[in-house]
Amino acid sequence: MYRLRFHGRGGQGIKTAGRILGTAFFRAGFEVQDAPRYGAERRGAPIFAYVRAARRPIGERGIIRRPDLVAVADDTLVTIPAAGVLAGVAPHTVLLLSSSTPAEVWRERLQLPGLLLTLPLGEVWEAAAVRFLGATLAGAAARLVGVIPREALVEAIAEELAHLGPSLTTENQVRALAAFDLLAEHAGCVSEGPEPSAAAYEPPRWVELAPEGADLAAPAIHLPATSEAVPTGLWRVVRPLVDRSRCRRCAWICSTLCPDGTISVDGDGFPVIDYQHCKGCLVCAASCPARAIRVVPERQAARVG
Amino acid sequence: MRDKKPSFPKPLPSTHLLGTGTPMCAGCGGLQVLHEIYDLLGPKTVFVNAAGCLTLLAVYPFTPFRGGWLYTAMAAAPAGAQGVRDALDILVRQGRLPPEENLEVVALTGDGAAYGMGLSATSSAIERGLDFLYLCYDNEGYGNTGQQYSEATPHAARTATSGGPRGFMGYKKDLFAIWAAHRPAYAATVAGAEMLDLARKAEKAKSLRGPRLILALAPCPTGWDFDPQDTVEIGRLAVKTGIWPLKEYVDGRVVHTKIPRPRLPVEEYLKRQGRFAHLFEPVRQEELLKEIQAQVDAYWARVES
Amino acid sequence: MQVTAPGRALLTGNAAAAWAARLARVDYVPAFPITPQTEIIETLSAWIDAGELDCRLVTMESEHAMVAAAGAAAVTGVRVFTATSSQGLLYALEMLYAVAGWRAPLVLVNVSRGLAAPITLEPDHNDVLAARDTGFLQIHCATCQEVLDSVLMAFRLAEDPRVRLPVIVNQDGFYLSFTREPVELPDPEAAAGFVGPFDPGTLRFRASAPLSQGVAVLGGGPYSYFRYEMHLAAQAALSVYDEIAAEFAATFGRRPPPVEAYRLEDADYAFYMTGSFATRAKEAVDCLRQAGWRIGLVRPRLLRPLPEARLRELLAGKKAVAVIDQNLSLGKGGVLYAELASALYGHRGAPLLVSFIGGLGGRDLPPEEFFAMAGVLKAAAHEGAAPPPRLLFTAEELEEVHRLRAIAGAERARLKESP
Ligand SMILES: Cc1ncc(C[n+]2csc(CCOP(=O)(O)OP(=O)(O)O)c2C)c(N)n1
Ligand code: SF4
Ligand code: SF4
Ligand code: SF4
Repeated sequence: MYRLRFHGRGGQGIKTAGRILGTAFFRAGFEVQDAPRYGAERRGAPIFAYVRAARRPIGERGIIRRPDLVAVADDTLVTIPAAGVLAGVAPHTVLLLSSSTPAEVWRERLQLPGLLLTLPLGEVWEAAAVRFLGATLAGAAARLVGVIPREALVEAIAEELAHLGPSLTTENQVRALAAFDLLAEHAGCVSEGPEPSAAAYEPPRWVELAPEGADLAAPAIHLPATSEAVPTGLWRVVRPLVDRSRCRRCAWICSTLCPDGTISVDGDGFPVIDYQHCKGCLVCAASCPARAIRVVPERQAARVG
Repeated sequence: MRDKKPSFPKPLPSTHLLGTGTPMCAGCGGLQVLHEIYDLLGPKTVFVNAAGCLTLLAVYPFTPFRGGWLYTAMAAAPAGAQGVRDALDILVRQGRLPPEENLEVVALTGDGAAYGMGLSATSSAIERGLDFLYLCYDNEGYGNTGQQYSEATPHAARTATSGGPRGFMGYKKDLFAIWAAHRPAYAATVAGAEMLDLARKAEKAKSLRGPRLILALAPCPTGWDFDPQDTVEIGRLAVKTGIWPLKEYVDGRVVHTKIPRPRLPVEEYLKRQGRFAHLFEPVRQEELLKEIQAQVDAYWARVES
Repeated sequence: MQVTAPGRALLTGNAAAAWAARLARVDYVPAFPITPQTEIIETLSAWIDAGELDCRLVTMESEHAMVAAAGAAAVTGVRVFTATSSQGLLYALEMLYAVAGWRAPLVLVNVSRGLAAPITLEPDHNDVLAARDTGFLQIHCATCQEVLDSVLMAFRLAEDPRVRLPVIVNQDGFYLSFTREPVELPDPEAAAGFVGPFDPGTLRFRASAPLSQGVAVLGGGPYSYFRYEMHLAAQAALSVYDEIAAEFAATFGRRPPPVEAYRLEDADYAFYMTGSFATRAKEAVDCLRQAGWRIGLVRPRLLRPLPEARLRELLAGKKAVAVIDQNLSLGKGGVLYAELASALYGHRGAPLLVSFIGGLGGRDLPPEEFFAMAGVLKAAAHEGAAPPPRLLFTAEELEEVHRLRAIAGAERARLKESP
């Protein structure tokens, strides 16, 4: 059985990628199971989808623990443990990153035992690229598994994206086929991983639970604002930057209107943005009467900063 | 009553009370209103919540609150508020709780709970004279489940369950009038984008005892289909076009706190949101647009006569 | 959802449920959103808006109202479908008892999800089991295909004059509701022919026929009579089900059984469970058999009525059975375990039962745990006694809880409180 996982952010077409690949497998004669991990995806938040495909009915369910292929729409997620991109990556696992950073650099950085490939798709926050990301990634994955004919991919896109109308469907097909062709030399590099064995397996470390009292064992939180440990800044694909030369230090407009309360005011009356948590909604930039908040792509900002 | 010269009603907090790192969508209008009001109410507040988007503010072990929080059930927030209020009162009266440990009880729900499933509980709590503040963030649909129409959905809006060519065929229920008919201590409509008006009303509500409502328009980028950075602009347009009147009920009288002059055509508000796109494309639905405008006009004609 | 034609297609459990309602040509759908069910009503709503389905869908203000409207419409004379999940099913509980008592024939799809508190979105079976005693019959599905097939069969079962009770068709949230797998979509004419037109019998309101329904009783005598008649009707549903299944097989070539038995004939051991993770149990059975085990699976699809005689027949002579409950009756244990024990008690050849609680709140059940459970069965058979019930919960999970609890400051709060 093939076990494949797509990772990205809400809004980057990850669910679409899974569905296109699932349908392509199905059209190629496979039994298929595909699912996004979550129904409601917050734009920018890490999400994933998975696809199983086999020549026999599939009884395995739930998230894929040992993937044969991990395809990643957004390379900024790779090094974030919470996104779980590298979870269960085994020696046979192929990692495909949509990234403009060369594959060698990633290999050096990640030191994974398996094959690592990159697919330069342009910058993912560009609206133009994002619209086709799902189909492109599905096209790439289809080629890497090597058992999906071109026509199955083309038909799958037509089926899954019919609601977008003919011209967008065609554009998606073109992009998916470009990725499909680009990876020709790696066709079939994804192999089906080992099946579980009842003769040799690692037994679960079951434990006995002891009664601990409702003060410990009730779902209650005894500290203030513990949510600040959650780095929602990772959702951001663009970054607001305060231009102090333009800021009039009105000192409350942006700070009050930021939905997430991530703007505080320093001793001089300048706003200070907490990038650990700023989600990049740009409400602040849109509301500043002095237009003192600039917007830069996160990658660029990260490179600068 | 008109706002005087802009001045922040209390010393500007250099950080905000509501913790960051919450899983709400980027640009969430409901979160914006909550964080603005929380700053004014202060940490001696216990929120009693009904099922909705903001339920996910507190997911073990993360909470953004610095005071109290209790999630109840979709229909039960006002009843939960009753229990907390009564118990606090008993404790204070019996001398088991020092007065400085007392809390303001705030029911926090979306429109689905406030206008629909929880309305019976609300009506009864008001009737009992419960000393509580009800904060409803009105995103005009069941946001948490993917924006199906609720009893607060405006006429003609597209939702996940009103996808026909004319959108939602019902009309938005007048919750403010329903509250006013109960003769509560206070009721007000606010918008997060109109923060001075909001701040004054929140301070007013805080200074009174008995049943009090703050009904906040909560632009929802996800459910209303607009770019998150427009959250403030959409809120402002709702007020400027007169579709969301800012008003308060106090001492038996309804007073409008901001009369939009000149009043912009309601189209300016509608055309910024995907949920109304079908009113403009592929063909302009003149008759529906006229109907919506006529309703707004009729409202203000009544107010100004 | 681009699927429009009969044939084999990839569908989620939610899409399969919506398709079944469409194929059954339902007249009326009172609705209320709740994750992970909402897609079912959204799909039906979209078909209605597009003019593809002649049906009225009304979003009510709550599930209590929704089930009240559903039952009332059914006893007025139309075919009714509705769907909910978790908190919604519980909020409707009063009306579940009521409409079953009216003998209202309707079909409700429940998409299983754990119950608050703590509130969660992920599946287990405590919600649907809370409706166990309401008078609704219950069919539990393991695949998206079964969801579709069971809804079609459920209309027949509910509307059969010998039964005339509402039916819940249950599927797991996420693992079926949001998961696509191949589903054979029947030909609409064949499906309509199988379900047939709605016949309200004598229970419907008409100007020409006086009728007072759902009336009160005074005294335990009539009350016992009416309630016990419901019980008998539920039990009669067993043989009616078999008839319907035979007809279903003749029409569509598939025969969803009341109890699925997988690789059981020569088995010494068996897993016993309901729901979508049962397909994982089957995979585990295959792996275990490869390793030399004689083991199988028993999965009741019908939970109300419970096919007790069939269960006894299937399990007689087995050495030990692992009952895997994705539910927990607090202060008692697994519900399936207690029910199976009562079905087998005192009967010859009853196997040892070992109780496992697993998959609460969507927790995974990986193959290794099935292998380990098989090991526990063998040891129990060897000892001739079953070990105490076990929660499937690992040291790693406990460590994680401790980590979360530290963030939540629970220990610190305890230290501060203690003198
Ligand atoms: C009894 C019950 N039915 C349904 C639900 C599912 N549910 C959770 S949140 C929600 C929507 C609430 O809508 P609203 O009050 O407008 O708040 P919003 O989601 O927009 O924040 C629903 C229907 C529930 N939790 N409980
Ligand atoms: S709103 Fe603009 S001018 Fe005012 S403090 Fe913020 S950045 Fe400065
Ligand atoms: S972009 Fe601006 S308004 Fe949005 S979260 Fe960041 S700081 Fe706040
Ligand atoms: S759906 Fe709307 S109300 Fe809910 S969190 Fe997202 S933006 Fe806020």
